[in-house]
Amino acid sequence: MTLQTEPFVVNIGPQHPSTHGVFRLRLTLDGERIVDADMVMGYLHRSMEKLAEERTYTQNIPFTDRTDYIAAMTGNLAYVMAVEKLCGIEVPDRALWLRTMMAELQRFASHCIAIGIFANDCGAWQTPVMHMFRDREKILDLFEMACGARLTLNYMRIGGVSRDIPPEFIPAVRKLLKDLPKRVDEYEDLLLSNEIIVARSRGVGALTPEQAIAHSVSGPMLRASGVAWDVRTADPYAAYGKVDFDIAVGTNGDVYDRFVVRLAEMRQSLRIVEQCVEMMPAGPVHAAFAGASVQPIGNPVGPLAIRPPEGEAYARIESPRGELGFYIVSDGSPAPFRFHIRSPSFINLTPLKLMSVGGTVADAIVILGSVDIVVGEVDR
Amino acid sequence: MTEWYDFRDIGNAVGALLDQIRDWGAPDWVPYVAATLIGIVGILLWAVLSVLAFIWIERRVVGLMQNRIGPNRVGPQGLLQPVADAIKLLLKEAITTTNADRYMFWLGPILVFIPTIVVFAPIPFGEEMVLADLNVGVLFLIAIASINTLAVFIAGWSSNNKYALLGAMRTIAMLISYEIIQVLALLGVVLFVGSMRLGDIIGWQLDHDVWLIVLQPVAVLCYIIAGAVEMNRSPMDIAEAESEIVAGYHTEYGGIKFGFFYQAEYLAGFAITAVVVTLYLGGYTLFGLEQWVPGWLIFLGKLYGFFFTYIWFRGTLPRLRIDQLMAFAWKFLLPISILNVLLVGSEVLLWKEAGLESQLAIPLFAVINGAFAVAVVVGWATALGHSAPRHTAHRAILTQEVGAIFYGEAAPRP
Amino acid sequence: MDDAGTVIAFWVLSAATISSAAATAAVRNLIHAVVLLVVSFMGVAGLYITLSADFVAVTQILIYAGAISVLMVFAIVLTPRGERGNAEGFLRLPALLLAGLVAVTLIFVAVDTEWVISDRPGFQETASVIGEALLDRYVLPFEIASVLLLVAMLGAIVLVRPDSAMEDE
Repeated sequence: MTLQTEPFVVNIGPQHPSTHGVFRLRLTLDGERIVDADMVMGYLHRSMEKLAEERTYTQNIPFTDRTDYIAAMTGNLAYVMAVEKLCGIEVPDRALWLRTMMAELQRFASHCIAIGIFANDCGAWQTPVMHMFRDREKILDLFEMACGARLTLNYMRIGGVSRDIPPEFIPAVRKLLKDLPKRVDEYEDLLLSNEIIVARSRGVGALTPEQAIAHSVSGPMLRASGVAWDVRTADPYAAYGKVDFDIAVGTNGDVYDRFVVRLAEMRQSLRIVEQCVEMMPAGPVHAAFAGASVQPIGNPVGPLAIRPPEGEAYARIESPRGELGFYIVSDGSPAPFRFHIRSPSFINLTPLKLMSVGGTVADAIVILGSVDIVVGEVDR
Repeated sequence: MTEWYDFRDIGNAVGALLDQIRDWGAPDWVPYVAATLIGIVGILLWAVLSVLAFIWIERRVVGLMQNRIGPNRVGPQGLLQPVADAIKLLLKEAITTTNADRYMFWLGPILVFIPTIVVFAPIPFGEEMVLADLNVGVLFLIAIASINTLAVFIAGWSSNNKYALLGAMRTIAMLISYEIIQVLALLGVVLFVGSMRLGDIIGWQLDHDVWLIVLQPVAVLCYIIAGAVEMNRSPMDIAEAESEIVAGYHTEYGGIKFGFFYQAEYLAGFAITAVVVTLYLGGYTLFGLEQWVPGWLIFLGKLYGFFFTYIWFRGTLPRLRIDQLMAFAWKFLLPISILNVLLVGSEVLLWKEAGLESQLAIPLFAVINGAFAVAVVVGWATALGHSAPRHTAHRAILTQEVGAIFYGEAAPRP
Repeated sequence: MDDAGTVIAFWVLSAATISSAAATAAVRNLIHAVVLLVVSFMGVAGLYITLSADFVAVTQILIYAGAISVLMVFAIVLTPRGERGNAEGFLRLPALLLAGLVAVTLIFVAVDTEWVISDRPGFQETASVIGEALLDRYVLPFEIASVLLLVAMLGAIVLVRPDSAMEDE
């Protein structure tokens, strides 16, 4: 017996406690099952790519803080690497090691948010969020020690980092390295085998490796689908070639595996930071080339701006969300001709419809949480 | 002692007052009505004050669980926070959306609130402190709780809002599933005691010097879970799942109408906890201590102490999906409740027929029921496949091989 | 029915029941009709209490106000939007006449019978008596009712299974 039913369009967002920012998802429901999922993006579009064409290369570094505002270090890093590739600048060793350490600390902090918010989407009333933010606070204190800011860090420069770390930084990192592994154990204890989280996330939103690769998915989403691909090992940059760490891989490609992969990555990040602390050489933190270190503000086309040779370069890193790449085209002037961000959140969102159709509304929320988007990156 | 100032039982004071009224020559129905009114006013006052207190307690306790301080700005230690909340809700503009059904919209909060107060009528707060010691007390509790279903639907429907409707539908499905489990859980108690009257149940627990929780572990577990669902509270607050459908059936309500819903949630929590305390934890008795300590103090202590576990659940556990919740009710809790009733029935029959001594029977039954609880929960869960790899936790695989694909392999156990 | 309380209660409850039942038939909006019907259910439960039938009263609330109203609400929600008015077809007048005839017949029978007025005994426990009766004298109707309910549940499950499953059988 068929019942006359009509599909029902529900709008999740743009103002919604769970869309991780201003992101709109239009779901067509048949009862509780999702029949169609339509993403509407652009609510946070700030035309960064166009604005960057008016500013010098160094003035564009704060933009990269604000695209992925949860992982500013990695944003900075990808951009300055692209410009260095374009200019052919050699970065000194100490700067490379500092960059690696900061990027890994940033990865830990970003995964704190990702996992906390995932548990929040599952309904755990902010308790995991509060606990994980406590650890993120410690890392943000470190960042404040290093560069004076907590969120929009602006630490990397073209040719190195902006300043060397103060002497109290390394002892603080050592202290943290004693505490944080126990915290990760605590989170695993609380969240990993929690029956409800397992029930909410096992089998939900699964992506096969073929689908993931076909959609250019990268980062923990790709690794959760079983593909052992990490830009840090596949295409080593900074000091990653010299440290020893493992890639965390899942087996089912579902939401639970993404969560588990992020937890494991947090441990690996701590491992890398430990090696950085041990093996960091002394030396300059900035490459010595004319006009590189002092950039007057408000004087975009002064004699101290960097003018890269004409050409194009693409540099990519492994940000906590996936492969973050910057494609810079230069025409010899102090401002870039084209500044394009290959943002992992935007690309990782492509299979959202594929993952959500057939599930329920609650599943859609959890899947969106597992993609771990930052809308600043999605919309730029 | 039955002096009026004996506050171990406030019924004494009320009784003295009523005698005084009779002495003044009032007709017969005046003391009766006066007693009822005093009871109603007393329950209302207590309910409202408890809710105010618990708003503060819950937020502080959940804050402590989340490693932060709760509200601590308004008044000393934040104690005036509930007052501030109440004033804010009272002063807000009462918006009725344009296409909402005006009468139903206005009726919704009231209908949700009424059962949560009425359900306190047969509950004994102390030895003489019952508003209406009904002969069918247990059934009355369930019946009044079942009105909640319709009330929630009216609230959701009248808002003319897709989210509210979704929330209302989910709620009704949940509530009717868990009503059956509630009834079956409470049935075990009634079988042991042989009466549905709450005063008798407490008397039985006092006489046999045992709390029924010891004799009915399965039923208590089922009732605690079913109770959490009936009060729409985390971990089953699907109806108002904040992170999914904003606020479910009370999305469109603001101001004091929302205040009613808020209050009804706490009062429903108190009601369920009061039922658990009365039926399973001995009510106002504490193995004879009630001769010195006022019974109502013991009752309130147990009530608030047990409510703390519900606050604990809320602070810790994530939320289930609606279809998982209903599968849990129908496939897991219902069979074990039915098995429990079967077991209890046969035990009671054995007790009466064989004429066993209470001293022997009760420990025996406690041990049997405890073993049964463990066996049936573990056994049925395994039979339903909860230990299958599909449901178990695991860690990520750590590798250094770039480009390898591990899809579909069994992951290592945690 | 001698004391004032019962008499007042009877009149108030009867008035509430009858007026809400009449309003159920007269009101335009179906959901309003359901709510008014629930009010009349409660009124009937109250009348049961005035007759000292405590078990039946509470069961009335539990089943009618708690479950059957939900059933009706679901039925309304599943009907398409256009057909949701409280029926105002051409059958109104004949229905009113028929109802009037039935009412007159019942009132005539009630007034004309010679009721035997017995002493009202004290309050007796009804729950245990009903329970024993159900399993003692009336066990056959009880079991038949349970089988009927089982059949209804199975029928409901079969009806809502997806079509492909039905094609398999």
